[in-house]
Amino acid sequence: MRLRWLLVGALVAMPAVASAQKAKTIDELAQMFDSSRCKSCHAEIYAQWEKSHHARPMMGVAGGLKDTPLAMKGATPFSPDDPSKATIATFPCFKCHLPQAVTHAEDSVAVEYAQALIAKDKAKIGKLQITCLVCHNEKAIVHRLSDGKPQPGVLYSSKEVASHPDKVFKSVKKSGIFKQSLMCGQCHGLGPNLEFENPVQCATLYGSYLHAYIPAGGTQTCQECHMKPINGQADHLIAPNWDDVPGVSKILQEALSLDVQTLGYEWLEKAKTHVPKVVVNTKINSTAGHRVPDG
Amino acid sequence: MTAKTADGKEIGKQSRHYHPQATNEKSSKMLYGAQVKTAYLRDTSIQPYRTKEETFEFVLPEGVRSAEVTVNLFYEISSPALIAEIHKVTRTVTLDR
Repeated sequence: MRLRWLLVGALVAMPAVASAQKAKTIDELAQMFDSSRCKSCHAEIYAQWEKSHHARPMMGVAGGLKDTPLAMKGATPFSPDDPSKATIATFPCFKCHLPQAVTHAEDSVAVEYAQALIAKDKAKIGKLQITCLVCHNEKAIVHRLSDGKPQPGVLYSSKEVASHPDKVFKSVKKSGIFKQSLMCGQCHGLGPNLEFENPVQCATLYGSYLHAYIPAGGTQTCQECHMKPINGQADHLIAPNWDDVPGVSKILQEALSLDVQTLGYEWLEKAKTHVPKVVVNTKINSTAGHRVPDG
Repeated sequence: MTAKTADGKEIGKQSRHYHPQATNEKSSKMLYGAQVKTAYLRDTSIQPYRTKEETFEFVLPEGVRSAEVTVNLFYEISSPALIAEIHKVTRTVTLDR
């Protein structure tokens, strides 16, 4: 018992991510990927992230707890007969909304999550986040055969930092994809996910980027539009924040233009019969790097 | 797009919906929800660097010579009750010269 306490204590105190041990509870998983220490040196970035959907990936837009049907018997093909029967596999959304659950959580986390959904326990569900460590470690390397898996105690970013003043993550290595759309494309969707027992189709944005934006001559990356630097550092709000309606309007106004032409005239439908008519012609142009809407 | 007379009476209303539309491929019924969608069968969304052109026409009621036309482009975030306005253009159109 004492040994078990010590092991959990070490896990809680010093999350390094690439642990072979899996979390058994939501609290353990949250602690394993806890990034609150980052705040002390990266306060501005942390504050941006806190307002982002990455900080509340399981909450849904406007706190709608989007996964609730997955915990309700019969509501989806994945739904278990009872929340206590939930597994990591019955929550396919974890693939992107909580990727660390797929690699670092026992099925008991899924049971706890399902029960929290039914209980509308937003405080507990809110602990499940796509933290700094998810992108800067867990998802930082895509070419794992050639580049190896992310190492414990190492952060990855767009540039190398030889000495990183943290008690666990003591260095920052350069990831070759951090400034590329591929980084975001890991989760922001190519199309239907056919690897599950039943197909799942959520975001298809990266597919749109590759197959519509690039062929149309687009050259910008996701990061160039959605992480424009503020004070020299990438904006980790990664707009839009769908809960900030004026902010959503602003980013859409930047991407979409609307031209309206109107005409009033009397149409000669047939001899001696003029029909008073109004014609409205509209043109919408988009410079977005993907279809609108997508996600 | 809505059109109203000078005294505010609505005389025309038309809309277009821009979004991908999916089924589970087992029926022709459009479905909503990541857990049940399988593939798009129609995509009317706004594509990058492509122009979406529309023409709206309506006949003025007898005796009406002008209309106030409003084109409202908005984004439905998660439900019809939660929308983000993108562009709103209002024009007065008259038959008189």
